[in-house]
Amino acid sequence: MTVGEEVRGEAPLVPPPLERTFDQAEVDSAARENGLEPIGVRPHLGAYLKDLWSRRSFIKVMAISKAYAENQNTYLGQLWTLFSPMMNAAVYVVIFGFILQVGRAGIENTIAFIVCGVFMFRFFERSVMAGAHSINKNLNLVRSVKFPRAVLPIAGVLSELAILGPAVVVMAVISYVSGFLPFAGKVTIDWYWLLTIPAIGLLWIFSTGCAFLMARWVAITPDLDNLIPHVMRVMMYASGVIFSIDRYLGQFSWGWIAQYQPVAVYLYLVRSCLLNEPAYPQSLFMWLLGIGWAIVFAVVGFLVFWRGEERYGRD
Amino acid sequence: MTEAEEVDFEIDPEDLEGGPVVAAPSDHLSLLVNDLHVTYRVFGAKKVGHGPGDKQGPLQKLLRRGARQPPVREVKAVRGITFAAKHGESIGIIGVNGSGKSTLLRAIAGLIPPAAGTVHVASSPSLLGVNAVLMKDLTGERNIMIGALALGLTTKEVEERYQEIVDFADLGEFVNLPMKAYSSGMGARLRFAISASAVPDILMIDEALATGDAAFRAKSKAKMDSVRESAGTVFLVSHSLGTIQNMCSRVLWVHEGKLVMDGDPEEVCGRYKQFVAESKEHAKAKAKG
Repeated sequence: MTVGEEVRGEAPLVPPPLERTFDQAEVDSAARENGLEPIGVRPHLGAYLKDLWSRRSFIKVMAISKAYAENQNTYLGQLWTLFSPMMNAAVYVVIFGFILQVGRAGIENTIAFIVCGVFMFRFFERSVMAGAHSINKNLNLVRSVKFPRAVLPIAGVLSELAILGPAVVVMAVISYVSGFLPFAGKVTIDWYWLLTIPAIGLLWIFSTGCAFLMARWVAITPDLDNLIPHVMRVMMYASGVIFSIDRYLGQFSWGWIAQYQPVAVYLYLVRSCLLNEPAYPQSLFMWLLGIGWAIVFAVVGFLVFWRGEERYGRD
Repeated sequence: MTEAEEVDFEIDPEDLEGGPVVAAPSDHLSLLVNDLHVTYRVFGAKKVGHGPGDKQGPLQKLLRRGARQPPVREVKAVRGITFAAKHGESIGIIGVNGSGKSTLLRAIAGLIPPAAGTVHVASSPSLLGVNAVLMKDLTGERNIMIGALALGLTTKEVEERYQEIVDFADLGEFVNLPMKAYSSGMGARLRFAISASAVPDILMIDEALATGDAAFRAKSKAKMDSVRESAGTVFLVSHSLGTIQNMCSRVLWVHEGKLVMDGDPEEVCGRYKQFVAESKEHAKAKAKG
């Protein structure tokens, strides 16, 4: 006989549990009479969208606060939102542009090409990460206040967009200035520089769709979070961030997949607006493809996220 | 993908065989909870009994890592609770640590989905707990904005009530500092102030009053009374039986995820005190061996 069992005999008594349930039919009729709403049930899509729309100022405040809090713990503060992507791009320019020279084939202005690619891809990557963490990192909020959870991924990506804003200006300046280097192709300022804004807008909508998907999958299976960086690495090479897809992947029979997948399409659009590359002319087909991808991902992502609405915060 | 996920939270049939079916009350209801079960996943759980004192060789450890202990464990925090609450009631919830009080409150507030059973409420309840800060990197001012907007207030309403919230929370200069610089009492006061700003129909308070000082306790009692007077319902989870007896008109005692008593504060608290005293004796006896 163990000690535990001996003591258990004289354990303090708790009254027996009140084993009772209400009759479900009575519950339903009582709920109807008193105008009670069931809780923990997924709201209808229409009501959900309406609720989400009424929270738009919440989304805005949340996104701006997040963007601001990002670099609060450093001495240089908000300047890091410009330095980090610049340093990131510099590394790729030196290694892939000048040492390995893979960024030169078929490209006239390697610096502008790589800087554009890196800044845009970084936005996409960070948006997906923000989406993936949007439920798990905000559990405090999720567990104390009830609101449409779609607010979180939307705000996460919007906050990345706010960070991207000043970075795009830096990107444009670097691209323009790099055109004056003797070995690089000229970058001219045209009216279609303005098209960069809708191109980034489409990328933003597409990224929000991806963030929705990631938010749900990571909330349910946290393990996926560990795979995202690797998937992103593959995406980076498959989207021609640092080299021309046409030149390196065009030789394979599956090369067209890499060329027309969403991330590559958005990189193409931004480059065709900002740069003067002969290999990247304005293309209506690419614009239509970009609009199509954005709509498909945003709608599918939102529906997938909404279908899990009642389950977020369970863990 | 959806079909596969549902499997995780299935309830064993024997757990669902509740007790006798009783008639549901039907007048002036603000909340109806029927046979509520809440289950949640815990990652990285260890098999019970593998404490630090439990010495094992590396080979044994390796062998034990079989399929017998899944990496994800389920905790059944609430196992079949049924009750109805009326407008104007203030209900205290008592129980030992880990009995499922906070989980019950969260489930009623719609923050943790039930694994089985139903919850019906009159309006969106507002829960405030003191365990978590909203966003610790942001200032009190930002947190007030985010918290109040999350509760469904409009930007204009938040601006109107901002000063009121700051005054209620009594933060002073600290409102412009990040929340991680706050003392636990300040954090609790701020959360209470934010949650109370929306004047909810159902106000749920999770131990909030335990951390405040005497002045704050008086203020929060006044707030609770005003919610109750406007025909709302107040839930209060607390370990302080004095607070419960002072503020509540009805007490639920939760033990191991089940409701063991439901009724008059004097009666339930009396029985609970007796249980706590017995537990102390029991612990003493156990310590002696």
